[in-house]
Amino acid sequence: MASVTLTVNGKSVTRDVDPRTLLVEFLREQLRMTGTHVGCDTTQCGCCTVHVNGEAMKSCTLLAVAVNGATITTIEGLAKGEDLHPMQAAFREHHGLQCGFCTPGMIMSAVDMVRRKGTDLDDKTIREELEGNICRCTGYHNIVKAIHYGAEAMGKAGTAAE
Amino acid sequence: MAMTMTGEVALPANRETVWAKLNDPAVLKACIPGCETLDKTGETGFSAVVKLKIGPVSATFKGSVELSDLDPPNGYRISGQGEGGVAGFAKGGATVRLLPPAEGQEGCILTYDVEANVGGKIAQLGARLIDGVAKKMADQFFNNFAEAVKAG
Amino acid sequence: MSGTGIGARVLRKEDFRFITGKGQYTDDVNRYGQAHAVFLRSPHAHAEIRSIKLDAARAMPGVVDIFTGDDLAADKIGGLICGWMIHSKDGSPMKAGAHPALAQGKVRYVGDHVAVVIAETQAQARDAIEKIEVDYKVLSPVVAMADAVKKGAPVIHDVASDNTVYNWSLGDEAGTQAAFAKAAHVTKLDIVNNRLVPNPMEPRAAVGDYDSGTGGFTLYTTSQNPHVARLVLSAFIGIAPEHKLRVIAPDVGGGFGSKIFIYAEETVCVWAAKKVGRPVKWVADRTEAFLSDAHGRDHVTHAEMALDASGKILGLRVKTQANLGAYLSTFSSCVPTYLYAPLLSGQYDIPAIYVEVDGIYTNTAPVDAYRGAGRPEATFVIERMVEVAARELKQDPAAFRRKNFVRSFPHQTPVIMCYDAGDYDAAMTKALEMSDYKNIGARKAASAKKGLLRGIGFSAYIEACGIAPSAAVGSLGAGVGLWESAEVRVNPVGTVEILTGSHSHGQGHETTFAQLVSERLGIPIDNVAIVHGDTDKVQMGMGTYGSRSGAVGMSAISKALDKIEAKAKKVAGFVLEASPDDIEFKDGKFSVRGTDKEIDFGSVALQAYIAHKFNGQELEPGLKESAFWDPTNFTFPAGVHICELEIDPATGVTRIDRWTAVDDFGNVINPMIVEGQVHGGIAQGVGQALLEGAVYDASGQLVTASYMDYSMPRAGDLPSYDVGMTQTACPSNPLGIKGCGEAGAIAAPPAVMNAITDAIGHEGIAMPATPLAVWRAVQKTAPRAAAE
Repeated sequence: MASVTLTVNGKSVTRDVDPRTLLVEFLREQLRMTGTHVGCDTTQCGCCTVHVNGEAMKSCTLLAVAVNGATITTIEGLAKGEDLHPMQAAFREHHGLQCGFCTPGMIMSAVDMVRRKGTDLDDKTIREELEGNICRCTGYHNIVKAIHYGAEAMGKAGTAAE
Repeated sequence: MAMTMTGEVALPANRETVWAKLNDPAVLKACIPGCETLDKTGETGFSAVVKLKIGPVSATFKGSVELSDLDPPNGYRISGQGEGGVAGFAKGGATVRLLPPAEGQEGCILTYDVEANVGGKIAQLGARLIDGVAKKMADQFFNNFAEAVKAG
Repeated sequence: MSGTGIGARVLRKEDFRFITGKGQYTDDVNRYGQAHAVFLRSPHAHAEIRSIKLDAARAMPGVVDIFTGDDLAADKIGGLICGWMIHSKDGSPMKAGAHPALAQGKVRYVGDHVAVVIAETQAQARDAIEKIEVDYKVLSPVVAMADAVKKGAPVIHDVASDNTVYNWSLGDEAGTQAAFAKAAHVTKLDIVNNRLVPNPMEPRAAVGDYDSGTGGFTLYTTSQNPHVARLVLSAFIGIAPEHKLRVIAPDVGGGFGSKIFIYAEETVCVWAAKKVGRPVKWVADRTEAFLSDAHGRDHVTHAEMALDASGKILGLRVKTQANLGAYLSTFSSCVPTYLYAPLLSGQYDIPAIYVEVDGIYTNTAPVDAYRGAGRPEATFVIERMVEVAARELKQDPAAFRRKNFVRSFPHQTPVIMCYDAGDYDAAMTKALEMSDYKNIGARKAASAKKGLLRGIGFSAYIEACGIAPSAAVGSLGAGVGLWESAEVRVNPVGTVEILTGSHSHGQGHETTFAQLVSERLGIPIDNVAIVHGDTDKVQMGMGTYGSRSGAVGMSAISKALDKIEAKAKKVAGFVLEASPDDIEFKDGKFSVRGTDKEIDFGSVALQAYIAHKFNGQELEPGLKESAFWDPTNFTFPAGVHICELEIDPATGVTRIDRWTAVDDFGNVINPMIVEGQVHGGIAQGVGQALLEGAVYDASGQLVTASYMDYSMPRAGDLPSYDVGMTQTACPSNPLGIKGCGEAGAIAAPPAVMNAITDAIGHEGIAMPATPLAVWRAVQKTAPRAAAE
């Protein structure tokens, strides 16, 4: 067993786990935070995207022990209480989700996209940056729209730099 | 899925010496990459355990190795098959020919003509890596074998 | 009504839980004391199982138990079924081979289920499964349909010695022959409809639970139709009688058909829960999904169209081989027959049609319904044929289609369907306008200047949805009725719960169904809850597929709401001291006609429950009604999609430049959601046309078994879509809805391929038109493109 300590959504947690435990398993099984999903197990679909020390990473191929000590943000930690993060709100406002399974990863990637690319995102940039996130329901049209407006809203709300 | 490859290697010993080594289980075991055991089960048959890693899949294959078309000292066919459990299966063979050396040279020339087939998880996840891995394994085997011949 | 009724772009009620990570999918369900199941799958496409050695695996840490097909057989657990009987043209029934949930003696495709290990953790089960030793006698596989039907081919099921499930036909062979005899022109085309893997983003999963105190089973599963799953697991597989089996399909992460079927894994999990006395959970990894989810499409077709000199279609002759895989999945038999051939008339007035379909077994995963199910295959045939015929006759593809459109309704086709309403010309006109078709020549020239090939492709599709009148499908061989049920529970405070047999796995029922209730009862949408996906809560249901939830599911709700309104008027009559016949209901208020006496809906609900104003002999207390709706006809959504694209002849890369969709879905409840359905459907259709293809090698190994090798459409592969609508109300249901879930996937593939073949100047390219395939085809580009 290996001891892993992480700060997840602002709370410090320590668990003894099988050393082969993946970060996504740590989140889902140890912490019962089931918002982070597993869609492909091969780092392709992005359903498992979380923020590790502020950067988007795919938690399905990342060992929990490899990120020992890291600060993790998951989809559950994005909203401030009842107040949705502007990107979450934009996905709802622009119908950027259908079945909802890829959505947490999409939103986490989108927030990271804004951190890296700014709040004024054109369609081409958004589509290129979504390379690592697959959605089977929406055909991406409304996801692209949601990210465009979500980025804009993050700029206005001053959440882009966080 | 299937793959094939061919190659040749010059060896610093005559055909009779090489032929003996090609039929020596201890030499074969040392030369087959990942071979953990190779036990004689009959005149020309062996049981084998081989550990392989192909991309994301690593597995222990249990199976058999068979020598056929024996034509001393000109060559034979070595074939094998193994089940790797969840990883799937691998089977294949090589036709090995021993040719006299080129004019004015010592030793002999070994040519090989390998075909291999894999299935299960190896094919599902490692499909794009399999050619490279098989080529590398064949190269390793014949390089090891050349070393063994050199060492006498 | 306020902004939440029929026709409003209401934001989705279900979204909050999904965007905050609070959705509850099957993998998020954890039962106290649960163990984990992992399946050992066959690495061989075709093999006899001589023996299975379990001792070493049983000794592994954490192993609870291991089961094989023998254990299921010992418990008399039946095999998986195919629920639609198809008869061959000689009258013989289809040849359905046994389909045990765990293999008995033989495996028939890579991924077939050999054994299940149940252990304390999933990792331990995976470790243990490595230790199972199976002695296989490997048999020659048959992978291609052409090989399967050759004399002397290896036999997959003893019941089908020629690997043929059925030789089926539809239509008038002699009449079609006669039409061809008088043809001035015959267009011929060989068509391959590529094999696809549905790939909902949520992999399949199941949690089985057994309560030894009550003898009741509970199965949580990723299902589009939990009641059908319960029926099959009870009546055919024999897990438990229906009243002892609860099936729950919680949030489901997409289905696209692949979660209709009853699979081996959920069968084993629920059965094994009793065997091991603990809940048993299984979650597929993506490669398992590729191997064992039912695949889609996989047709090989030869089609011929007879035309007169002016370009009027006289007849259509189609011969199709349909790959059904190694076993018949739940509804597989009907997909290439009754969901396919009856749509081959397209939007056209074709006097004579004759279709032959051979269903073929191969050593590949079972093939069943995938978004559109049969109708995309039919649309691909007719829309490619029409396009090619127009080209051969040197007619404009739009004008050629208009010349042949059905123009009066109802229209009886020669292949079963009676189209009830539509205006195909209107959709074409609107699509031509939206796509700026008149300037296509200039755009082609502009592309040519850049060294690019621009092509435009049409698809005037029709589908049969709202599946379907029970008696009609029964006469065609269906083992079930295809009605839908609903229950409306009005609470004493006037809030409403709708229990529906439809199942939402992305379609937004919690919003659209609530809009109907908000409209009808005049109450805020937040006062309505939609309950679905639980056989213990919802009275009955047939589930969601075939774009049926609006047309059939909502019609059932509407019918139940009629009963609620009638009952509430009686209650209001007692309260307002008037005859129910004099009570009017409008905007949520009951009033006595011609007076100012009124009472709101919530107060009537309260009065219904407190029952102070009437007695039980006069009127039953309470306000709760249920209804079953059985459709009177299929519905016929139709439309025109136009794809315009550019090909770089140097690289073969295709870029879709603009996409125009004009669809007639009848009445629309929520345009935002409907447009979303169209977008997603187009993406899947474009995926089929440009990117996706399941590939088995000659030995039956699936070499596209992960997202590293199977090309899923990503954001960068797709354009934004220009979506418009026309409307002709559907006459066969009370809401006038036709259904919208599959349209895009049905319309898109021929639009793309018609555009590509327009650009390259010949028909010699098949789906998926990958850059390599397009580049190769461009090398063969001949005179026509050059002449333009």
